[in-house]
Formats: sequence, structure tokens, C-alpha cells
Amino acid sequence: MAESKESGPKQDPIRIGVYVCHCGLNIAGSVDCAEVAKFAATLPHVVLAQDNRYTCSDQSQAGIKKDIKEHRLNRVVVASCSPRLHEPTFRKACEEAGLNKYLFEMANIREHCSWVHLYDREAATAKAKDLVKMAVAKAALLEPAEEVEVPIARKTLVIGGGVAGIQAALDLADTGYKVYLVEKEPSIGGMMARIDKTFPTMDCSICILAPKMSDAGHHPNIELFTNSEVVEVRGYIGNFHAKVLKKPRYVIKDCTACGECVKVCPVIAPNEFDVGLAIRHAIYTPFAQAVPSTYIIDMNLCLNKEGVIVCDKCIKACERQAIKFEMKPETEEPEVGTIIVATGADVFDPSGLPNYGYGRFPNVITSLEFERLINAGGPSGGHLIRPSDMQIPKRVAFIQCVGSRSDRNSRLYCSNVCCMNTIKDSLLIKEHWPDTEIYVFYIDIRAYGKGFEDLYQRARKEGVIFIRGLPAEIVENKKNHNVWLIGENTLQKKLYKIDVDMTILSIGLEARKDSEIIQRLLTLSRNQDGFFLEAHPKLRPVDAATGGVFFAGCAESPKDIKDSVTQASAAAARAGILMAKGKVTVEAITPIAYAEKCKACGLCVKVCPYNAITLNKDLKRVEIIEAACGGCGTCAAECNFGALTQKHFTDEQIIAQIDAVTEHDAEKKIVAFCCNWCSYAGADFAGVSRMQYPPNVRIIRTMCSGRVAPKFVERAFARGAATVLVTGCHLGDCHYINANYQTQKRVEALWKKMEQNGLNKERLQLLWASAAEGERFASKIREMKPIIENVKPEEIDKAKKVFEKALGGS
Amino acid sequence: MPERIRHAPLDREKVKPANAEIHLFKDECKGCDYCIEFCPKKVLEESDEINARGVHPPKIVDESKCVICSFCTAVCPDFAIFVVDKSNKGGK
Repeated sequence: MAESKESGPKQDPIRIGVYVCHCGLNIAGSVDCAEVAKFAATLPHVVLAQDNRYTCSDQSQAGIKKDIKEHRLNRVVVASCSPRLHEPTFRKACEEAGLNKYLFEMANIREHCSWVHLYDREAATAKAKDLVKMAVAKAALLEPAEEVEVPIARKTLVIGGGVAGIQAALDLADTGYKVYLVEKEPSIGGMMARIDKTFPTMDCSICILAPKMSDAGHHPNIELFTNSEVVEVRGYIGNFHAKVLKKPRYVIKDCTACGECVKVCPVIAPNEFDVGLAIRHAIYTPFAQAVPSTYIIDMNLCLNKEGVIVCDKCIKACERQAIKFEMKPETEEPEVGTIIVATGADVFDPSGLPNYGYGRFPNVITSLEFERLINAGGPSGGHLIRPSDMQIPKRVAFIQCVGSRSDRNSRLYCSNVCCMNTIKDSLLIKEHWPDTEIYVFYIDIRAYGKGFEDLYQRARKEGVIFIRGLPAEIVENKKNHNVWLIGENTLQKKLYKIDVDMTILSIGLEARKDSEIIQRLLTLSRNQDGFFLEAHPKLRPVDAATGGVFFAGCAESPKDIKDSVTQASAAAARAGILMAKGKVTVEAITPIAYAEKCKACGLCVKVCPYNAITLNKDLKRVEIIEAACGGCGTCAAECNFGALTQKHFTDEQIIAQIDAVTEHDAEKKIVAFCCNWCSYAGADFAGVSRMQYPPNVRIIRTMCSGRVAPKFVERAFARGAATVLVTGCHLGDCHYINANYQTQKRVEALWKKMEQNGLNKERLQLLWASAAEGERFASKIREMKPIIENVKPEEIDKAKKVFEKALGGS
Repeated sequence: MPERIRHAPLDREKVKPANAEIHLFKDECKGCDYCIEFCPKKVLEESDEINARGVHPPKIVDESKCVICSFCTAVCPDFAIFVVDKSNKGGK
């Protein structure tokens, strides 16, 4: 990019072009875009300012490219949507016109302005002007930068061996990439292996899954780690270092799965795979088709503890001598380029609903238990029997939406699969025992997919009775353990009390309870329901916000087998695209060190989450390992001497933004710092959801809240800002390992300083908000409105004086 | 599998419990307590009585808990304990 170097700021005068986007009426509906463009033209260094209907359109982009050449623009500012959406688009356009892409800046006047101030055109326009002013101020100080290319390891880690994980692993392995498939349980197969039939075709679930499981088990490109957990992931897109803990099975691969050991094992326990409806021994295989077929010993149950062989019955029974009690946990450390998260979902536990009596009444079971009962491989050999007396029930009821679509147990979402699962189950009963009376109690029947409505109609024709209105209560007949369902038929406005032999609770799916571990390892976000959040709900539905990480299956949201498989193949394709390229560019946002200012105090070395800074004691300065740097900028915030700054987020640039905000009416404004990954995205989410909040906030984007140096906050106050808001990811969820703990430390120090100087510390607020917590962000801004209104002019002046020092130095 | 188990196994009848008969030669016991210490099912316990060797021999707490691993026999230095499987008795 020779051209951009020539047009560096030192040689040429700065020439900025500003483009204000209408985005149809999305922005123009609440912001006077022509007025904003007119205002932009008056700003320093701006040589061209115009408004377009759609700046992202091909025509407008071509216009920008033309202007760069004709008007010799060396900086471009686009005021439109979130940089998280279109920054890459415009950066590309700039590059095509020969302008270094780091000379482009964006003002977010849609998500952060027009959409959140829909009904206040005047205030929204004023805010848009401010946002443009901030962007222009930063743009004037932008520097061209070159990106580093890093190679991508052509290997993938798939976490979770359910049908989604298996499909993704097989697709990638068939393409020719090495895949590490990690499964927590002793066998792959996941939830699908436990289900009897699939809807809407009534295929036998394990019959169609078992060949895939076996393929995954034998594929030369797939390395299978079962009974294993991912315990650590370091690195970044293309270069992840994972740590997988392989728990011992105590049985080696020589096992032929003959089952002789099981016959002699003296200890028994309920088999988790059958939801406890069948027994297993301490040495066992969860189910007949398990992959790998190698048996496993449950050490919590086995009599041999702490290396003392008390009982050697299985050892004696095993002809192949495959039992090895001396096996120890092992750690594998695969280096991978991409990661697919296919961790699946849990089922809802209805024990918490006392009105349904699950766990107290033997003949109230869950749909998952039903699947094991009706399954030929299950404890009853496929005979539907009720637990109280092992008799075949004559009257059966299904209750829908148990743990879905209800705020009583705070699960407001639809679990997607239960309606069709119940219809399928009712047809299965009708197939084997046609005389069974079946009632289905529902809120709505959602038969939305291909072939689903046909199946629903079939169930109705077969005589399954559908009643709208869930039972309010289940009461047990103590004599024969039958149950009465009591509730209201909301179509007929009549109360019902129906006596059935057995009731099946159609339980919903929920986010896995251990999602938090994966969330932290990979710095992902989750939505309010606990499922992992995709990078974009429409256009990047399988990508995580973290580069190189993709989702498949129920980890992202509840879905049926077909959708899980579809998403798994999509995730495999997305991961494949990255790996086929073989290299990826890393954003040029690493720190720059000014050796002459460095006092070799070593503070930055301590706060760096990546250990990317080392102290050179001989030369008395720090050295930065760029490849290890994650780009949070917390080192730059820690440096007291201005010896470190972050590329593209330099002190000067951020200070220019602060100064732009506080130039006019500072006493009415909130200067907000948002981190790119969580809180800025959360503010975007508030915009997309049209959550309205007061228009007095001005957001400055940093990569991490750890970049927010105390001097930025001090400067805002010194320039008369009413309040300052520092926001970041929740503690523990930081995209940069733990950099936001530094944020907390710094804000606490500032609070202390404010208190000591008699300032109201409420004027500095700290908020942790995830990308899904738009409402949390919006309500914080609403909450801060009275604080601003109560700040007296003398308090503003006092703060100006206290933080006076912060004004110098730049 | 993280689900809570709320129903007893339906096929629990199929598994016959071990039918153990524990034999103690109380006067052979020298009171080392190895059998009590090492029993994985905690079937034995020190008794109050005093045997010929002047120590407290073990007593059986719950014979039905015994799974006939015979580790007590293996560790007893004085050959004072053994277990038979009653279901094998009648010459089956």
C-alpha cells in the first residue's frame, strides 16, 4: 500500500470525506441527515460531506471510491449503522480506492441514535452531529497500518459428540481436515441416541445414527476423545491451543464388548442413559451401539478405590485382559485452527413444578423417560408400561410446554421440538396399542416444518384427542396410582377432570448447565435464555463473535435433528472456508511502545493477560511480542508515562473523541466507554430492538474496557462532563481473558479519588453488560438521567478543578 | 447425562442380590481390624465381646450388603474369616 504511505498525515494536509447515510428511513426517519451532513462540512479538515439514501449500496461505494481519487481524500468517515455490521464493507471500498483501511472511521447513528430515539428528532439530530464530530476528530488522527498475516492450523476441535458434532466432524474429516471430536460421556451419540423414533418420518433414531457414529469412530481423520473434557483453550483464530482432559476408562481398546465382565460385577446403579429406568453395573457400556464400544468402569461405584484391588471378578472374567485399574487421567493438547461448539442442550427438570407431582407420583413421567420406555433397547424392551405396576396403560395423557413458554419457571421461549415429539409419540402408542385413549393438552400445536402438519392430521385421524388448555394440577388416586388431570378447556370454556393411567410431561430443552465453562474458555456470549449467541441472527447464524468459533445444534438454540444436522454442515463449511484459505489477517491493533518514555516500571507486564510484554532489564524498556498480543490495550491504559499506546485506539484519538463530546453542553452528557465485544454489542442490540433511552449518551468504542485509562475519565470530568459511564463484559466473560478486572480496579481507584475530593461518585458509573443485554444498557442510561439532572454547576466546576491535571499533556 | 433420576429402575428385579454367608472363627482373630478396614461395603464392625486371644473380634452388621468380593479372606492374617455364596450351596 505504497499510496497510503505517501498520503501519510505528516506530508499531506488531512482531507476528510464524510458520508451520512439515510438507511432508507431507518436513520432519516428520526435524524435530519441533510442537516448532519451540512454540519459535518463545517468541521475541521472536512473537504466533502454528503448524505446518501444507502451508503452501503454499490453505487454509493463507487461514489466514495471516486471521491477518494477526485478529491484526494485521505480519510473517510461514514455515519450509518454499527461498525460491527458494515465496517468491513467500507474498509474494503477504501482499500479498493488505494486508501489504507485503517484510515476509515465510522459513526454509529443508527443502532446508537435513530433507533433508540425514534420520537425525538431534534435530540437525535443533535446527537448524530456529535457522533459525526467525534468520528471526524478521531479520523483526523488515524494512521495507516499494515496487518499481520498468520497461518491457520488445518485442524478442527469439535466440542460435543451428539448428532451435530458427529455431522460437523464427518463433513470436515471428509473434506480432508484433521478433526478432534471431544465428548464428555463415555459414548458419542448424544440425545439422538436415546430417542426411539424421529419425526416426521418415524425413522428409527439409533438405526440412522449408529452408522454415522461408527463412521466417526473409524474415520482416519477423526480422533475421538470420549469421557473427556476441554479444560483450557488459549490462542486466537487459526491458532488455538486446547487442553483436553481424558478421564480413564480403566478398560483398554482390546475390549471386545463381550459383556462377560458385567455378569460378574457385584455392584449396580441406575443407568443414566436410560434416565435411571434400567440398571447398570460398575463396569458397563451405556447402550448397545455405543462408540467406542469399549466398556468403562464407573470408579464412583467400583469397589476398588485408591489403587487397592478389592474385587477382581471382572479382571478374572475378561479373556482379553483389557481391564487396567492402573489407568490414569491423561491430557491431550491439540493445536487447532477452528473450533465447533456442539455441546447440545439439557432437558427441563419438572421436579420444580409441584402441581404436576413429578417425582412424587410414579405414573407421571417425562417425555425423555417415555422415549426409553417405548424403545426396544430400553428397560422394558419397547413395551410401554407404567412404573407403578408394570401394566400397559389404557389411557395416556401428554402435557405440552412443560418448561417452555412460561414465565413461571422463567423459560419464555418455545423449545421447538416438543409438539412434534408428542405427536410422534402418540402415533407410536397407537401403532402398538391401537385401543389406547390418548389426550394431548396443549397451548398451541406448532407443526411448522416439512411434513409436520401431515403427521399432526394423521394423529387426529387416529383418534388422538387434542385439548387446548394445560392442566392446572395433577392429583393422584392413592389406591391405583392413576392420576386426575384438572384444568380448563379454553376452547369450550369448560373445566375438565380427566382420569388417566399415565401422564407424560413433554419437557422442553434448556441451555446446558455447564455452558458457562465453554462460554469462559472461548469468550462467547449467551442470550437471556442461556443459549450461545451467534455473530448475526440472520447473516452469520453459525458464527460466534469470537473469530474461528462456530456453533452447531442445540447449543445455539433448541432445534430438531434435521436442523441440527443442517447447522452442523453449515458450521463445517464455515470452518472449512477459513482453513482452505490457510491464513488469516490479524487486526493491526497491537500496542506501540515509545522506548524513550519507558521507565521500565513493569506495570504493563503485570496487567497483560497474554504475557505478551517482557521487561528488558538491560535496555530498561519493555518489548512486545506482537503475535501473542490479543489487542485489548489494557497495557496502554496502565502506563503512567505515555510510553505505550494502542494502534487505532491511541490516547490522542480517544482524547480527541472525548474533547469532541465535551465541547458543547458537556454538563448534560454521559461520556460512555463501551467494549467492542459485549457492551458496545449490547448497545447495538438495544438499537436493533428499538429500546428507547435518553439521548444524552455519547459512546466511545474501545476493544476492551481495559483500554479505558483513568486519564480518559479524568479528562471528561475536567472538560465538564456531567457523568462518565464505563462498560465492559461481565467479570469472568472478558474477551481478553481477564483485562476487565483492571477496569474494575481503575474505576474503584477513581471512585476513591472522587470521594476524597468531595465529588459525588455516582457521576462515574460502571456497568457490566453482555452482547445480549440491550435492556440492561438502556435501563442504565435511563437510570443515569436523574443523576445528570441533579448535578449542580458548582459540582461540575469542582470536578473540573480536581481533574485539572488531566487536561495537560496532549 | 445431567438429568435427575426420579424413578427406580424397572428391571431391578432381574438382578439377584448376592446371597452371602459370612463365617467368622472368632477365637482365631487377633484383632488387627484389617477386614473391617478394607471391606468396601462396610459389612463388619468391631464387637464388644472379648475372644480367647483377648481382643475384640469383628461382628457382622448387615450380611445382605456383602457382595462376596472375599477381600476379607484375602487380607486376614489368621485365616479367621471366609464367605460362601449361598446360591451355590445346594449343589447347583
